[in-house]
Formats: sequence, C-alpha cells, structure tokens
Amino acid sequence: MAQTMAEKLLTRHNLSGNPARAGDFVEAKIDGAMCHYHAAEPMHDMALEAGFKDGLPRVWDPARVYVLLDHHQPTLSQKLADENALIRREVARLGIQCFHDSEPGIAHQMMLDYGLVRPGELVVGNDSHTVGYGSVNAGATGITRADMFYVLLYGELWFQVPESVRVVLEGRQPSYPIAKDMILYLAGNHGDDFAQGMSIEYSGSLVPQLSIDSRMCLSTHGVEVGAKFALFGSDEATHRFVKARTDQPYEPLAPDAGAHYANEIRLNVDEMPFMVAKPHQFGNVTPVDEARGTRINQAQIGSCANGRFEDIEIAARMLEGKKVAKGVRFLISPASQHVYLQCLKAGLIEKLIEAGAQVITPGCGVCQPRVGFLSDGEVCITATTRNFKGRKGSPKAEIYLAGPLTVTAAAVAGEIVNPKEMFRGL
Amino acid sequence: MGFDLNRVIRGRVWKFGDSIETDAINPYYRYPTMDELKQHTMEVYRPEFPAQVRPGDILVAGRNFGCGSSRPGLVLREVGIAAIVAESVARLFLRNSISRAIPIFVAPGVAGIVEDGETLEVDYPEAVIRNVASGASVPLRKFPPMIEQIFECGGLPEFARERYLREQALK
Repeated sequence: MAQTMAEKLLTRHNLSGNPARAGDFVEAKIDGAMCHYHAAEPMHDMALEAGFKDGLPRVWDPARVYVLLDHHQPTLSQKLADENALIRREVARLGIQCFHDSEPGIAHQMMLDYGLVRPGELVVGNDSHTVGYGSVNAGATGITRADMFYVLLYGELWFQVPESVRVVLEGRQPSYPIAKDMILYLAGNHGDDFAQGMSIEYSGSLVPQLSIDSRMCLSTHGVEVGAKFALFGSDEATHRFVKARTDQPYEPLAPDAGAHYANEIRLNVDEMPFMVAKPHQFGNVTPVDEARGTRINQAQIGSCANGRFEDIEIAARMLEGKKVAKGVRFLISPASQHVYLQCLKAGLIEKLIEAGAQVITPGCGVCQPRVGFLSDGEVCITATTRNFKGRKGSPKAEIYLAGPLTVTAAAVAGEIVNPKEMFRGL
Repeated sequence: MGFDLNRVIRGRVWKFGDSIETDAINPYYRYPTMDELKQHTMEVYRPEFPAQVRPGDILVAGRNFGCGSSRPGLVLREVGIAAIVAESVARLFLRNSISRAIPIFVAPGVAGIVEDGETLEVDYPEAVIRNVASGASVPLRKFPPMIEQIFECGGLPEFARERYLREQALK
C-alpha cells in the first residue's frame, strides 16, 4: 500500500512489525530523545510518585539521550542554578553521554548544529518545537514529560499514526527570507489548527529554493498549526547540511506515489503579501498593511523559529545606513553559539550594534520570556514563536508576530510599516 | 492514583472559547509554585475563575484547547476541575492529560449544547456527553484500550512502573 512519509516512518519504527496506517495506534522504537530543562527535578518527582524510590532506575540507551540546558543558561537565579546542578548529577548517575551543559543556545538549534538528528529517524523531545527537525527529513515531535519518562526507561512510545496534509509551496524565493510570512499566511487562511494531530508534508517548486534555515522555520512552526510532524523531503541541501555534521548513516524518508492525503493546501508566494499575526493568537493574521501605523516599543528577532543566520543577516543588511528608532528596544538573539559565531564572522554583529540593536545571549530568553519583559500597554513586534497574552510579561501588552524583515522595518520606523516602503530595492 | 473512566461525571460548566493556550492554563514562568498557579490559572480569559471554581466543576472549551507549549494541566485538577470536555484538543495537551491521567474528553459539538453555569454529564461508558437540563447530547470519542490502561494505572509513569516490576519479576 502506498504510504505517506509519516506512515513510512512509523512502519519502520513499529515494534509490532506491522505496516502503520493513518489512524492506527502503534508502539514505536525511538532513535533519539532530546531532554532540556525538564530533565531532572520533575522527572525525579515523577519517578518517586510512580514508586521508583531511588528515581529513574536507568536510561534505555545512554548514547541516544541528548540533554541540553537551554532554557536556563546562563541561570538567572540561584533556584535555576540548583536545578541545573541536579540535572548534572542525574546525567552523571544515568551515564548520559551527550550533555551540553555550559553552552548557551536553543536545544533544537544545537541538536541540528551538532548533527544529533538524521533524516529518517524518529526523534522525540520534551518541547513542542521539536517538530522543527522535520526540516532535515527527521520524524521529530514534541512529547510530554511523562512520555519522556517512559521513553527514557524503554526507548519506546505510543503514537497514533497521523493523517497527512500536503502543503504545496510554489513561486520564487525572493532575496530575503519569507518562511515566517508563509506559515502565518497558512495559519491565517486555514486556521491555527489546520494540521491538528496531523503530519505536514511540504512539497512544491519552491522547496528546492528554500534554505535549510527557512525550512527550519516552517517545520518548527508546525506545532503552531497543530502538527505532529512537519516534514520536508531530503535533497542535496539536506545531505550537505547533515553530512557536514555527522558521519552516522541514515535512511531518508520519501512518500510513495499514490499515498493518501487528508488534505492539500497550495500557496504561491509570488502573490503573498508580508504577513503579521496580531495579538493574541497565532492565527489572528492580516497582511502587514492592515497593521500599518501601530506604534511599537520593542522589536525582536530570535527563538527556534527565527534565530538563524538568514534572519539576522537580513536585519543587518537592511539596517545598513539606518538607525533603530529612538526609544525602540530592538533585541536580537542568535539561536546558538554556532549561529552567533557565524554572524560575528560575517560582520553582522557590528552592523547591528552600530544601528542601535541589542544582541542577546543565545537561548530561549527573548521568546520564553526570560529577557525583555513588556509593561502595561506596550507593543512588541517579534520574529519569535508565539504571541499569547502575557507571554512577555504584562497581559495588557500587545505582541505582533512577523518575519525578520518586517520586524526590522518596524524597528527603524518605530511603527509597523510595509518593508517595501522602508527598504528600497526589495 | 488511577482514574476510573467508568464513573459518570456530573458538574457545573465553565465555558471557554477556541485556541485557549497553555500560557493561560499554566503560566508557570510567572507563577512558579502550584499555590500561585492555582490563584492565576485561566485568569487572562476569566479573571473570576481561580476564586470561583469549585471542586467537581467541568471545563468546556472550543477547538484546539491547550495549544502552545507542552505543559500539563495539573493545576486544573488541583483547583477541582473534574473533567475537561472540548471540541478538539491540541495534541500535546491531550498527550499531557493522558500521561498524567487527567480526565479529558473530545466531543465535537459540545460547545453547542451547553452554556456557562449549566450542568453537564460525561458518560464515558455510554460514550456520550449530556446537558442534564435540556437533554441535548453529543457523542464523545472513546480511547483505544492502550490509553484506557494508562488512565487505569494513573498515568504513564505508573504504567511504566508496572511494566518494570513485571519485567523484574521475570528475571
């Protein structure tokens, strides 16, 4: 029977050995488990509650568990330092081999930077944006802490095999990133749960033109439209990216001709305007022109959605010869030390600082929020993951989501503008 | 502690809209302790909720309940919510609820049969949700046996423990 990528993934990993079809419940073998800050205290408490009196008795494979201290790095309080200390003890006790302990950055970006995710693998993480590894053809998805407890013990987990939705992207990649505009457009037009519990398969003539950075943005945001997986196929760009980072063998996923899709959505980017999500939901989307003139206090680029080289490069390129508007706080946070160094070597950081932007240590801080809180009545436009009420402090603040180009334009203007008006020659 | 899916649940309804996010349910980064969370859960949508919710109440929501970050809704159980019934549930919130044995039920159409403050009945054995006063009802989706077992055990860590003990006994 012809299979989607998700069906093929879960067939390969199905413990029963049976072919997996959309709707089936299966128990699957896990290739990799990404744990970040939930790794210790809640895990230990859960172990005690479940009756393991000495905590988690083992991990199923110490080489396949990846622990990265991202949300709390560097720590902002002693309480968090104590939590990290507990994680260090647990990692040592359980013999976990891959531990990124003293490096700021977003776990998801580091998983990709260090080649810990390969095409065709089934990788889980206890963070919703784990789905982003679909950008390199990995079947990756967020799971819960209690699910992770089970995975750590057995290397197995239950899944419902998802239906698949094909998202066909057509058109020409402009000279600036538009991945954020694309996913906002999709959420605005098809609903912020159009892929609820489903597997997205991105395809179409635009895909070969998309950078790995743009694919990461699109896959990461799969969760903002409800997706279990958000998969790209593998092409030359994928193999180049992966093979530069790991020598582990892998077996990519591709759908069969004639596989069944529950839905197909098409988007031609040539006709797509710049998009923004207005407060307070991801699906509350309009073309940027309808939000024009909204005064802003803060602008941000960062997170696992938009903290990558191309997001920061476009900001630096557009800021050349311009200044951030007086009174606007423009926070830019590279997704990892790798990305930071890449930006630094390309001369971007100097340009950003000269223009009046602030560069923030890599990590989840600007999105989570740990850095850059908002006061009552303040407005922030941000290329990060979410705009929920109160996400950056005051519930009376307003958060707009947009791509890095639109954010940069707003930072210069002091209000939301169409980037085409701000930057000539786009 | 296991959750008995076969017990009929009846309670007063708190009704919420679509795409209620986990930042609203569990804003742990602002209120890190359970005591604080209990004072603030759901307040961005219903400021009176934390003070007025009573043990045994039922939370009814629209589609995509619990979207956003992967965070468990344990605080809702702590304030006394006896069941969550939604048009649809974001997948991580659903997984979170199953894996901690928090009673959650998907029942498309539920928002159309009940108003805030009315009494709702969740009858899992009969696979139906009823408005007690009006008699209106919609079907609820049953879980597969594997998930029913997780509820019975009291959650996935407890399920894991039972498996572990079984395997140790065989050694």
